[in-house]
Amino acid sequence: MLELDNVTVRFGGLTAVDNVTLRAGSGDVLGLVGANGAGKTTLFNAISGLVRPTAGSIRFGGTSVVRAPMFRRARLGIGRTFQIPQPLHGLTVRENLVVAQRFGTGKVDERRIAEVLEFTGLADKTGRDAATGLALTELKALEVAKALATDPQLLLLDEVLAGLETTAKRRFMGMLQDLHARFGVGIVIIEHDIETIATLCRRVAVLNFGRLIADGTPDAVFRDPEVMRSYVGNGVGGGHG
Amino acid sequence: MRRAYFPALLLAAYAGVPLVLGGNSYVMSLIDAALVIGGIALAWALLGNLGGMVSFGHSAFVGVGGYVSALLTAKAGLPVPAGLLLGGVGAVLAAVVMLPVLRLRGPYFALAILAYAHIFRILATEWTTVTGGAAGVSGVPPLPVIAGIDFGGKTGAYFVILTIVCVFAWIYARVSASHYGLALRAMHDSEDATQVLGVNSTLLKAAMLLLSAFMTGVIGAFNAHYIGFLEPDYAFAGLWVTLPIVAAIFGGYRTIAGPLLGAVVVYLLDQLVFKTLISSGHQLILGALLVAMIVFSPRGLLPLLTRGRKPDAGT
Repeated sequence: MLELDNVTVRFGGLTAVDNVTLRAGSGDVLGLVGANGAGKTTLFNAISGLVRPTAGSIRFGGTSVVRAPMFRRARLGIGRTFQIPQPLHGLTVRENLVVAQRFGTGKVDERRIAEVLEFTGLADKTGRDAATGLALTELKALEVAKALATDPQLLLLDEVLAGLETTAKRRFMGMLQDLHARFGVGIVIIEHDIETIATLCRRVAVLNFGRLIADGTPDAVFRDPEVMRSYVGNGVGGGHG
Repeated sequence: MRRAYFPALLLAAYAGVPLVLGGNSYVMSLIDAALVIGGIALAWALLGNLGGMVSFGHSAFVGVGGYVSALLTAKAGLPVPAGLLLGGVGAVLAAVVMLPVLRLRGPYFALAILAYAHIFRILATEWTTVTGGAAGVSGVPPLPVIAGIDFGGKTGAYFVILTIVCVFAWIYARVSASHYGLALRAMHDSEDATQVLGVNSTLLKAAMLLLSAFMTGVIGAFNAHYIGFLEPDYAFAGLWVTLPIVAAIFGGYRTIAGPLLGAVVVYLLDQLVFKTLISSGHQLILGALLVAMIVFSPRGLLPLLTRGRKPDAGT
């Protein structure tokens, strides 16, 4: 479904993503890991259209999207969340989802909105102002809910668990574990915590200074000496925050 | 303003004002002018509130709308009502030329669109074979007499401009209450966040610019027929953007009724009260009033009056 070939993103003299070739299918729950500054979020930005790659190709569902604007990629089925939640200001929780449904899919399906609200635990928060009326856990849930409301085929989750306290994190993990099965959506998730990745993902890709250095099952990847040197050896499990 | 008040308000506007003030042509002319300012303020606020863009260039749409309608009716013999609509279309074409400025944000957008307005004023001055140059266009036909009602008179024109403003306010309310209105409001603070949900923000902003230009162009065309004369310095004057901005901010530009209320209050206060107190430089008092409003009620007069009540639907 998603095919990245030799994707490179440079900002002036800095190469944030370096010649990355990667595949993600509708059946995948793929963890994308790497130390801070490894290029994970930049890669998400390139996939979702927030930045244009300096070189390489990005195909989604067989179509090249490398020059497509963000809104078109969303309509094609690439959903994403932001590391720092970005609720739609001035709108209620429900209105956030209405915008996502209407513009992501071309219609407003109230049953789908209700389903997403129930799944993300926001069913009793529909009338709240999204920007000012929600706690961090709810803001993170709203990020996922907005993306789901666009009926994505592939969901890019950028550190949705970061900053959550233990109980909320456990609850959120349960939701993420159900996500793939319930909505039939492929998932690529950026996360620092190895336990989380090992629990959620069937496949892990590792970036180091923008380069893809490993791609395989969690067991195999986390035994890879190069990964251990570049990532685990740098203090994973909290050190990377 | 609550929906229940609308019929009473419309009745007062359509029947009460002409009945009470129709005999005083000076006051009616001030009310007509206030509605012209109010209509432009409404169009300006639509772009500012929904489109999230502060424009200093609306004088271009007033001028282009006025010139297109004046020339098509005076020289090509088109009926005035058609001229009013084509004035709006002319302003839309002017806005199409301005579309590249949508790539800019904030003060850069405001200044770029101001530059466009100056270019249109220069065009109107220099394109003498069509516009008459600095000498302007005289003999602009007045609004017509229909079914015995002289719409060219102060009271007749009042009905026309009031209807135009009401229709525009209704369109504004419909857009604001639609899914497009939701997306437009959301775009102000989080354009990337709306785009990743499938919102074509550039297209929506362009639509708001074109709609705002159309509204302003129609009002500019109305004014040309109301005044009966056009010259570049008047048609593209800075007051066509400064007064509506003051009115919209004073009244509350994030509401639909605020710019209209602001225009009526600001313009009538200025002409009927401040001008008699200080014949020269009376605008200084307006400036002080605006500063006071921004300090004490940044959301404007309407929110101040309705404080504690449920906000307007669709604003």
